[in-house]
Amino acid sequence: MSINKLLVANRGEIAARVVRTARAIGIRTAVLRHPAEIEAPAHLIADEVVMIEGVTPVAAYLDIPQIVAAAKKIGADAVHPGYGFLSENAGFVAALEEAGVTFVGPTSEVIDLMGDKVRARAFVEARGFPVAPSAIEDDDPTTFVERARTLGYPLLIKPSAGGGGKGMRIVREDSTLKAEIETARREGQRYFGDGRLFVERFIERPRHIEVQVMGDGQGNVVHFWERECSIQRRFQKIIEETPSPALSPEQRQDICKTAAGIARAVNYRGAGTVEFIYAPDGAFYFLEMNTRLQVEHPVTEMVTGFDLVAEQLRIAAGEPLGLQQDDIGQTGHSIELRICAEDAAADFRPAIGDILLLDEPQGEGIRVDSGILDGGKVTADFDPMLSKLIVHGADRAQAIARAREAVQNYVILGVTTNTGYLDAILAHPDFASGEVSTGFLAEQADVLTAPGEDVSGLLMAAAALSDERLVAEVMQIPEMHRRMGGWRN
Amino acid sequence: MRRIFTIGGNEAECWLTHDGSCFVLNTPDGAVPCRLDPTGAPGGYRLRVRGLVRDIRLAVGHEATFVHMNGRAFEVGRVDPVERLAARAGAAGEDRLLAPMPGVVVSVAVKPGDAVTEGQPLLVIESMKLETTLTAPRDGVIAEMPFAVGDSFGLKAVLAQLAPQEE
Repeated sequence: MSINKLLVANRGEIAARVVRTARAIGIRTAVLRHPAEIEAPAHLIADEVVMIEGVTPVAAYLDIPQIVAAAKKIGADAVHPGYGFLSENAGFVAALEEAGVTFVGPTSEVIDLMGDKVRARAFVEARGFPVAPSAIEDDDPTTFVERARTLGYPLLIKPSAGGGGKGMRIVREDSTLKAEIETARREGQRYFGDGRLFVERFIERPRHIEVQVMGDGQGNVVHFWERECSIQRRFQKIIEETPSPALSPEQRQDICKTAAGIARAVNYRGAGTVEFIYAPDGAFYFLEMNTRLQVEHPVTEMVTGFDLVAEQLRIAAGEPLGLQQDDIGQTGHSIELRICAEDAAADFRPAIGDILLLDEPQGEGIRVDSGILDGGKVTADFDPMLSKLIVHGADRAQAIARAREAVQNYVILGVTTNTGYLDAILAHPDFASGEVSTGFLAEQADVLTAPGEDVSGLLMAAAALSDERLVAEVMQIPEMHRRMGGWRN
Repeated sequence: MRRIFTIGGNEAECWLTHDGSCFVLNTPDGAVPCRLDPTGAPGGYRLRVRGLVRDIRLAVGHEATFVHMNGRAFEVGRVDPVERLAARAGAAGEDRLLAPMPGVVVSVAVKPGDAVTEGQPLLVIESMKLETTLTAPRDGVIAEMPFAVGDSFGLKAVLAQLAPQEE
């Protein structure tokens, strides 16, 4: 089959990013929009915009029957789910299948398997791949707490059906174990409708390293090397890069081959990511597999030269992979910064507001995947990520320098963003030396959010002189005094 | 003309005057000549304050002026002196429990008329994928719980209102 018309069942920067590639390869495109949503880049570049309804905008993007009906109505022969929302929902895949619409992604069986963290771990472990020591509640609920204890503290509690850091708890003391289990269970129940848990030994000072894989469901699987995503706040990544500064060439081969082996074991189709916890001693353990395109996929594209969305669409159309592992090289270094509407100094509180002025950086080695427009609005309806700034450099030092310059020149006025915070991370000596773990942002919180040089005098002058009413009032006075004569300040 | 600004949570007061040849910003630290000239870029200005020169980007919002300078974005809140006086005369801050961040109500533990003690959990909210329990700021009686389970709210929304304290 071939794909003639693609519905992107997502929004924000990823909807625009998918549309761009689809258009470039001659596929007609449609995107969704809820009435509460402000106009976004995807709405301007897609061939068609389909309005969807829902009590909340998020509910509309999760409404399987409505989105399947939209795909049918506009004659889309394929749906790209982006990330988040319905991208890892096996029910959505089944509903599309029934409607005769191609899902750009893996089979519902693979989504089901990898979506259940407990089953996925067991599957991976049974095939000889490394997993961290753990206790699974379902094995025997009556002894769960006891088995968790014997793993030794610190422990990490996770919902079996979880993802994205939701409901995860670190437990360091036995006295809080039971209470934390109950909290995690409640959160799991609420977010995933599933209160089952598992506990694993929490690896101290871990790094998060993941591998991009791609398969065609016809037995062919390749990897596109690793990404390091250890810079996280609240278990969520905000800076990603490739190659990882932590890995030796041998370790890089080892972890990438392991990931490809896991994807091969499920005869994977489409783009996926195998995530690992990397311990300070060089050991790594399977964490989970995300059966979709990742937010941070652009860094992989920057160093390999491949357009992963184009590859996804080719495979969804039934073509074989047509790539050998040796075809995929890595050139230079790439870093992605997630630009979020949030106040890093106030515990990453999401910010809302009007985008009064937007001027995104451009230049050599700079790519911006943006979901916002000048004059737009940031509301609390969606995730606070506004856009992604991706840079490429000949080496890591050049990539960091480019990222710093670009993020400093990223002008977003009217809503609080984390651009200054991201720059502070890039400027930190431990980031420059690559000596980070997933706890880095929490450990360095005071340094990273320290107020800079006091520029309040300059700011007051700028605010006063740009206040038209104030300036008009002030200008009345010299006029008056001139008339009175002899006025001196 | 007097103005009160908030920068990084701190209030600062200044007077702007014009000495016939240029503007002068008067602060408790002294008087400095200043000027602001457009550069042609959207929101672009060259700011001169005493000997310092900065190319900035600037946008004036309803309650704040936003400035991009030295590679950073700053928010300068503009305080209306009249409104501030009114706020002082109004309800005491601790009668109200304000949302520390936008979110959704997960559970509500009390209802209007309930007597509560300081530190008692009033409701659980969820923001940024985390649950937070909000507690009574003081002993008192609940006057109003404006949000029900499942409702979403914005930053600084009143999540609980205590009846005014009787002296």
